[in-house]
Amino acid sequence: MATIASGLRHARCASSIAAAQWRPSILPRSSFQLAIRSITSDSQKPPSLELEAAESVPIPYQGVTHARVVPATPSYFSREPQFNDLYIGISKLLTKYNHLPTVPPSEAPQMPWTKLEEMRAQMGEPIKSSHYAKVMRVAKRLNLIEPSLRPQEVKVALTEFTRDINPFLNMPNPITIDKFGRAVGVGKRKESTARAFVVEGTGEILVNGKTLSEAFGRVHDRESAVWALTATERLDKYNVWVLVEGGGTTGQAEAITLAVAKALVAHEPALKTALRRAGCITRDPRTVERKKHGHVKARKMPAWVKR
Amino acid sequence: MASLSLRTLVRPAIPVAPRIQPLIAAFSTTSLLAAGPPAVKSRKDLPKKTKKTYKKKQNIVPVKKPGPGERKAFRKRIQLSNNSALPVTGIESLEAQTMAREESGGKMFAVPDQVVDQLRALEAFKTTQTWNLFRKPHVLVRKETVELMSKLDASVEKKEAFKCLGQDLTNGNTEFSPVPDTEPMQFTQPVYCLKLIQNIYKANKAVLEKTPLKMDWSRLTGLKQGATLADLALSAKESEFAWPTLSALWTELTQPGQPPVLLTLDGLAHINKVSAYRDPSFNIVHAHELLLVRTFVDALSGKTKLPNGGAVIAATSENNTHYHPSQELVLSQLEAGQAGREVPKPNAYEKKYDDRVYDALKNSQVIRLEGVSKDEARVLMEYWGASGMLRRALDSKAVAEKWALGGHGIVGEMERASLMTMRM
Repeated sequence: MATIASGLRHARCASSIAAAQWRPSILPRSSFQLAIRSITSDSQKPPSLELEAAESVPIPYQGVTHARVVPATPSYFSREPQFNDLYIGISKLLTKYNHLPTVPPSEAPQMPWTKLEEMRAQMGEPIKSSHYAKVMRVAKRLNLIEPSLRPQEVKVALTEFTRDINPFLNMPNPITIDKFGRAVGVGKRKESTARAFVVEGTGEILVNGKTLSEAFGRVHDRESAVWALTATERLDKYNVWVLVEGGGTTGQAEAITLAVAKALVAHEPALKTALRRAGCITRDPRTVERKKHGHVKARKMPAWVKR
Repeated sequence: MASLSLRTLVRPAIPVAPRIQPLIAAFSTTSLLAAGPPAVKSRKDLPKKTKKTYKKKQNIVPVKKPGPGERKAFRKRIQLSNNSALPVTGIESLEAQTMAREESGGKMFAVPDQVVDQLRALEAFKTTQTWNLFRKPHVLVRKETVELMSKLDASVEKKEAFKCLGQDLTNGNTEFSPVPDTEPMQFTQPVYCLKLIQNIYKANKAVLEKTPLKMDWSRLTGLKQGATLADLALSAKESEFAWPTLSALWTELTQPGQPPVLLTLDGLAHINKVSAYRDPSFNIVHAHELLLVRTFVDALSGKTKLPNGGAVIAATSENNTHYHPSQELVLSQLEAGQAGREVPKPNAYEKKYDDRVYDALKNSQVIRLEGVSKDEARVLMEYWGASGMLRRALDSKAVAEKWALGGHGIVGEMERASLMTMRM
């Protein structure tokens, strides 16, 4: 087989050489050049030995620096070159634009960077996580370039490293204060949903039209309902009117905490960190675990019965 | 036959039902002791080895169970002082005219010992209240208290006081007996009446002993001329004579020239309903057919005149109550009338309106009580702090927090939120 292949080598047409010898990429590359520089055709003619023709004989290999075809990219000979190409491209960009001014990381635009798993799926290559980290370091460095001075080239290159969907653009609508001075916050916990209408006032709280003691029998629940105001020492500065439905008492009380905190942030945005520290900003995602077939409850298995 | 005769000879020490006795034992003619140790027939019958334990036996004292009624007595006990609490100084004592003065609104007052005894006799202290957390009973005089007391101000300082609990009268927990020759049939509650007379005597002993009888009650009791109301009250030794004595006492008190009377009742909704009692033909009995309730209702509606002055106060709350459409309607109408608002009309589709309730309440005044204001709450919390019950610094934020947690200043709930929860 090997001999036949070597015998037929010269009979290959040029197009078969031009065809990619690796797996076609999932992402079609925009401009893929045949990475071979060919030696000029006239160099293939053997020089004449005749003296009279010696003057007219052109000097061979002029302008040719390589004896053989040289691949345009160093990853030509690797089996899976795409990721390497990406790295080379981005490194070149970094050397090119290294002089541009940067911003601190906290001020750089938030980018939905592609995760390692996603990158592997896109490239169809086994990418080492250390290599991935290296590439991402360069990409993140490029992202630090002052946004107004960022070249188009860099912007395009960075899109290769980002996901199609940007979750950072998914911002909730900001809560506004209406003409009556109310801010409406919505909070949830377990099965309960609460809407809190917060206005500046003297510290009166009504839950579904009832006072706290009528709405919640447990003192602990009452305290957790007003915890957002207590933790920030604003209990005597605002009036709260809450509508809450669904779930049990604990869920309702803690849904109110979240709702009041959100509405309070609309009044005083500076309180957000204090409220986050008090645990009033993050929604508690824990809910009832679903029941599974073959189980008595979510986890409980039926008792063992002999036969 | 043989077995029967033997059984009659050898009787067990404790009489046992003959059926339970095993038949085999009856056939043995030797006594158990004479038979000797049981014969060893198998390995099971061999004496078993017992493990020796070298552990020291702990001296286990059996738990002493509380005697009958002890737990209930503990539950119902009213403790009015606590030596661990700090004594609060600089608080005025409650005098006869203090509560009616405008400037005493929003202040704490100490209840004098003699008044404490009277109130205790009238069962004014409840087990659910937190008197046991403080050195001495103190009260906060609210704005509404001053308002009420200034309305009572016209009456003389010496007062008779009766206090009933509406729920106890109508839930069928106390004995009742029909009054003969009444149409519709009326009922008395002798045991409750006897207790009430005794309480009235205990609480108003000083006044009753000074007041002579105006009418002749020799037919009812063996009282001589010149006897006092106290003698009349004491003459009821048994429950059969309780109601006649109480009605005699009430007749005496409504005569001109006697001291003014204060009648109070807690749980108004409970005496405005159909009671849990039944008459001998098992018909339902309206609470107003109970004579004790009737006496109160007549006084409340103004049917019985109080020639010496006095007051009839009935209280109802949102907690211990039931849905009572006609009472709610009357009260809302009275309230609207007092405030000059439009008087609400009865619901045309409501069937359960009770005309008796309307007649009983139509002449009264309504005072709606809400929680204490923030200033009053601060005074109260300062008193708690002075008693050593509040550890944290008392500022407007603390007051606002407890005021809100206590359902906009309900004292019991504020106490629950600040005194009864453990803060480590």
